[in-house]
Amino acid sequence: MKPPAFDYVCARSLDEAIDALGRRPGEAKILAGGQSLTPMLNFRLAHPGMLVDINRIPGIDAIRDDDGGVRIGTLARHRAIEVSDSIRKKFPILTAAAAHVGHLAIRNRGTFGGSIAHADPAAEWPMLALLLDAQIEAKGPQGARTIPAREFFTTFLTTALGDAEILTEVKLPALPAKTGWGFEELSRRPGDFALAAVAAIVTLDGKTIKDARISMGGVGGTPLRAPGAEALLRGKPADAALFEQAGKKAAEESDPSNDVHATADYRRHLVSVLTRRALTSAAEKAAQG
Amino acid sequence: MAVTKLVGARVTRVEDPRFLCGQARYVEGIQLPGMLHIAYVRSAHAHARILAVDAKQAEALPGVHRVFTGADIASLGPMGQPFRADVFPHPVFKQCVWPCLATGKVRYVGEPIAAVLADTRYIAEDAAELVEVQYDPLPAVIDPEAALLPGAALLHEEFGDNVVMKVSGGGGDADAALRGAALVVRDRFRTNRHCAMPMEGRATLAAPGPDGDLTLWTSTQTPHLVRSRVAAIMGFPEQKLRVVGPDVGGGFGLKCHVFAEEVLACFFAREVGRPVKWIEDRREHFLGSFHAKDLVVDCEMGFDADGTLLGMRADIIGDLGAYSADPWPSPFEALQLAAALPGPYRVRHYAYDVRCVCTNKTTLSVYRGVGLPAAVLVQEQLMDVAARKLGLDPAEIRRRNLIAPSEFPYDSITGLHYDSSSSSDALEKGLAAIDYDGFRARQRAAREQGRLLGIGICTYIEMTTFGTHYWAPLGIEHSAYESATVRFDAQGGVTLSVGTFSHGQGHHTTYAQMLADELGIAIEDVRFEQGDTSATAYGWGTWGSRSVVAGGGAVVGAARKVRDKMMRIASHVLEVAPEDLEIAPGKIVVKGAPQRSLAVREIARIAVYSSWRLPPGEDPGLEATQYYDPPPVTFANATHIAEVEIDPGTGRVEIPRYLVVEDCGVMINPRIVEAQVVGGIAQGLGNALYEHHLYDENGQLLTTSLMDYLVPTAADVPDVRVEHIETPTPLTVNGVKGMGEGGSIGAPAAVLNAVADALAPFGASVRELPLHPERVWRLIHESGSDTRA
Ligand SMILES: Cc1cc2nc3c(=O)[nH]c(=O)nc-3n(C[C@H](O)[C@H](O)[C@H](O)COP(=O)(O)OP(=O)(O)OC[C@H]3O[C@@H](n4cnc5c(N)ncnc54)[C@H](O)[C@@H]3O)c2cc1C
Repeated sequence: MKPPAFDYVCARSLDEAIDALGRRPGEAKILAGGQSLTPMLNFRLAHPGMLVDINRIPGIDAIRDDDGGVRIGTLARHRAIEVSDSIRKKFPILTAAAAHVGHLAIRNRGTFGGSIAHADPAAEWPMLALLLDAQIEAKGPQGARTIPAREFFTTFLTTALGDAEILTEVKLPALPAKTGWGFEELSRRPGDFALAAVAAIVTLDGKTIKDARISMGGVGGTPLRAPGAEALLRGKPADAALFEQAGKKAAEESDPSNDVHATADYRRHLVSVLTRRALTSAAEKAAQG
Repeated sequence: MAVTKLVGARVTRVEDPRFLCGQARYVEGIQLPGMLHIAYVRSAHAHARILAVDAKQAEALPGVHRVFTGADIASLGPMGQPFRADVFPHPVFKQCVWPCLATGKVRYVGEPIAAVLADTRYIAEDAAELVEVQYDPLPAVIDPEAALLPGAALLHEEFGDNVVMKVSGGGGDADAALRGAALVVRDRFRTNRHCAMPMEGRATLAAPGPDGDLTLWTSTQTPHLVRSRVAAIMGFPEQKLRVVGPDVGGGFGLKCHVFAEEVLACFFAREVGRPVKWIEDRREHFLGSFHAKDLVVDCEMGFDADGTLLGMRADIIGDLGAYSADPWPSPFEALQLAAALPGPYRVRHYAYDVRCVCTNKTTLSVYRGVGLPAAVLVQEQLMDVAARKLGLDPAEIRRRNLIAPSEFPYDSITGLHYDSSSSSDALEKGLAAIDYDGFRARQRAAREQGRLLGIGICTYIEMTTFGTHYWAPLGIEHSAYESATVRFDAQGGVTLSVGTFSHGQGHHTTYAQMLADELGIAIEDVRFEQGDTSATAYGWGTWGSRSVVAGGGAVVGAARKVRDKMMRIASHVLEVAPEDLEIAPGKIVVKGAPQRSLAVREIARIAVYSSWRLPPGEDPGLEATQYYDPPPVTFANATHIAEVEIDPGTGRVEIPRYLVVEDCGVMINPRIVEAQVVGGIAQGLGNALYEHHLYDENGQLLTTSLMDYLVPTAADVPDVRVEHIETPTPLTVNGVKGMGEGGSIGAPAAVLNAVADALAPFGASVRELPLHPERVWRLIHESGSDTRA
């Protein structure tokens, strides 16, 4: 469990990092918090010829208010998100979910952008980026671009980022009024990756569901939205039977597989239970808000 | 006699600062000039012939010093100490041949085939990837029952089958007892394969010294045993081999074995004339250390109509993996299970059959609790099943069958001499402490709201200590006595050196408490020495909950020899008869006239420094060594009660309350006792809820990281309340019984019973661990009924 040899570059600016990546296309990897990459190196599952360390690039870890929403710099640590007042006010679902990201030691080092770029289908930030219709900003040799979350997660551990592109910032657009959230996760132990996780937001108009979004983690090659279940909810009065039905629909829309911790069947069942619970909790909060 | 009385006090552990402040010294921390690093090339196949091993490319890599293969180590004897043939002759037990590096054939994924010695571990691993092994894969046998079938692939062809041990035993007439029973409950239990998972894996560093000497630093629980076995396997003079166990980060029984990697480190160091180090990484630990607990148990128990246990029978299959461990033959897990199955209950009719089979999996051997966690699980779950069928409460059926206090000493049907026990008191105390009746009321109310609460009781009697005369009739070649040396220096400080090996148990503290009471010294006066075969008399290390009885007995024995001499010196100096003297803190005083005294420091100075002041005829020095062979077994007992709540929607199990009433006889230090209990429970919860090694049909281990093989972390262990009963045993020096393994023995059964209790309305039969959410959910779901979350 020792990594194979690699070259190491400590970048002091984004341009320097992009330049370094461009010099060894396909061979260089960014090192952010290292909480996913270093285990892969130690298991020799990754053999990058070069690591480009972005930890010393100033200014890319900021959490900023933006037009009712927030912008989260790629290097913001999980822990910074967990304790951010601004996030707690605007996106309390992130605050709640942060507690599920590994353990404190991991949260102190792991980064928001690293998690999204790594794109583990069971990780919390990718599924929340998808839920919140995040705008993911990247910079590469060809300049900067913005990728909507729905287009970002392509397949298992794979994203729309190019070889020499760096994820720089993630914008979470403001949520409408009368919106509540629910986050439900089941893992074997606290801090483990989810067997299944469901995040939901519900916007109410009186007792009627004006809009609902559901995203699912750990039950497909990428984090998934549940468009059928979302459609089923829209325009209907919020009630337990509806949430139950939406849970079943979401389960159909999930695409889990077997592993040493659980079977696909059980995960699909979890989606229905967790979706029902997340929607119930989201609707309650929306009604209060 | 002792006035100070530190025995029994909640003394804070004196060894903690070194561990908490990063001052501990593990093998990994020892750096020697010119040291090379080993990386092992391990088998990628579960079962295959090795056609060729080509190390040319690896040897050509800069920084690589040498690559060894099976052909290079032909002079090393095989691993494995068989049972004595007078007890278990072939073919009752068949000793397989286990070379230190595979030659001819590999029998499990992870078996070492070659070793690369290089300047750094990084280079060694790079080179290990370049060693080309040509395999001719053979069919692999993974399931222990499949291994029994005719036509199954054979691991050790010379045996003709895969059964390496077959024994039967028991007593009375189990068939008749079961025939006459009003109720027979039976079930099949399959225990989950585990591994010990200490924080520090195995680690070895061997260095050649002058005059052809060798020193081996190794992460072990049993340095003297390693020395004897390594010397024997190498054919090396034992007096020239020094084995040192430095600080060790956990062992749990795994490290009371002798490993090929220890022999090889010594061999390589001699061959290359340089120090060589190997630190097991986590992946190697999963694949290459021993596993534990892979058992299939069919058990039936017969009761009369009022719940009296009439007799029982068990058919046990032990999966040993590929080889039999050294120096404890691997069948022990299954044999201990068979011996322990009747437990704390009155059983007069019992029969068991044990078959141990080889499979193409990592070798299995003893681990904390050895056989007892499984025995207790089977026995305690069947007790509950019987209670349910008879309409009795689980507490009540236990009351009716526990051996009563008045019946001790009690000779069990498997030949165990239960000297003393407080099983019934522990049960009643536990039920009261957890408010058992109150729980049942809460449980009923919760069920009406669709919440699933359960409570599980587990009552067990635990073998501890295991002296030489426990092992001898079981055909073990080696002994299990202990030794201790107490030596005063000229200032009155004491060096205590022992043959046991603390690797987390706090022996420095407990032994110092004992010494302080015996010698009138302070705990801080004691320097503690263990683990270095050059500095300690022969002893057998620490395992089997033995140290406080075996090691403590030796410590007290040595202290008393020294104390007698102190009395003689004081008697001479104070001109008072020895009978009129007694020990007080720091001095020896005249009974009834405490102003007349002689300081212990002064006595030490006389004996060690100014020996001209000694009484005539008295030898100089103030030191004694005591060898002590403890009783064959001492019996601790406990009741565990776990309360669980299950999420009906997901199957997730929570443990809001956990209570233990334990009795390990006289406690030296309740704080250490409690910590051992809680630590054991943490491991038992691993057994109950998380840990499980999975193999695919080709014998590939699927659980080779801590993301796949889950162990409980501090965050996953509930608050455990520990209550005590102290029933001294007449068999030991000061009434102590062994302790340490207990928590891990009781927890799996307590949790399983609690889950079964919670799921009783569904008629679910719970007999497999771990109780991960999916398994529990299926137990609910597949029982037909439904409950809303
Ligand atoms: C024990 C343990 C438990 C964990 N549990 C959880 C959990 O429950 N939930 C969870 O979500 N995560 C969990 N993690 C993973 C953790 O959150 C990681 O921090 C995260 O997945 C990756 O972030 P990082 O900053 O550490 O990235 P790194 O490990 O440094 O990098 C990960 C990958 O992303 C790439 N990358 C990083 N930054 C960028 C960027 N700016 N642009 C482009 N590519 C980039 C890297 O090249 C690499 O391929 C756990 C980790 C451990 C060790």
